Amino acid sequence: MFGKEKTEAAPSGAARSDNDTAFFGAKLSLKGKVAGSGNLIVMGKLEGEVDLNGELVIAPPAVLNGEMRAVTIAVSGTVTGTLSAGEKIHLEKSAAVSGRMNSPRISIVDGATFNGDVEMKKPADGAAPSKRAEKK
Amino acid sequence: MAKDASSGTTSLVSRPVVVEGEISGEENLHVDGRVKGIIRLAGDLFVGANGVVEAEIDARSIVIQGAVTGKVLARRQLEVQSSGRFSGEATAASYEIRQGAVFEGVSRMLGGKSQTEKTINSVELPAKK
Repeated sequence: MFGKEKTEAAPSGAARSDNDTAFFGAKLSLKGKVAGSGNLIVMGKLEGEVDLNGELVIAPPAVLNGEMRAVTIAVSGTVTGTLSAGEKIHLEKSAAVSGRMNSPRISIVDGATFNGDVEMKKPADGAAPSKRAEKK
Repeated sequence: MAKDASSGTTSLVSRPVVVEGEISGEENLHVDGRVKGIIRLAGDLFVGANGVVEAEIDARSIVIQGAVTGKVLARRQLEVQSSGRFSGEATAASYEIRQGAVFEGVSRMLGGKSQTEKTINSVELPAKK
């Protein structure tokens, strides 16, 4: 019925091509805000805010500081601050998190370090802001 | 796009992603999304056809297929490809501006004996439509 064109930014699905996955390498550092609807893999330093309608992967040697919001968050690097995920947060063995985690599902692998608060419910606002028509 | 792979990794700001702030590091960066702020790279900056960058930029070489606005320093080369648009103030050791590209603003040569300064007012080379 509807045109099959405009499938442009088919939200989430995770099956989008690699090109929708942003990547910040280990030698990159970023201060400020990252927002959008793709996935993001961070291996470098990030200070500030991440607001992602996708998956956030924090891989070593990443060091993040600030407030991270995404649909799912997988951590194997170091984070200080707040992690909020609409679906789940997973801390790998090498993860070191201090601060706050907020997600309906949380898993922590033996060996991971976590110091702080946990709240297990959907983040009140913007829990996976499924699709905003903010595309141009 | 097999540029020299000299300085290793290339980070990517993908199409649905917007970054506001300062990006710096010893890598190459490929922008298909949007970046606003400051970019300082030991490596190269590549702005893809969908990329929109509004920033103060310092990079080794800069290749523009999308849109770049700001004060730009390319220690090696600034290349504006035919789909590219640049507006602002550029300093580079060498330039390559392809047919169809838009270059609006000031360009300076880096390092030359006499820092040549040219002001080009909105040179729009005929783009093929």
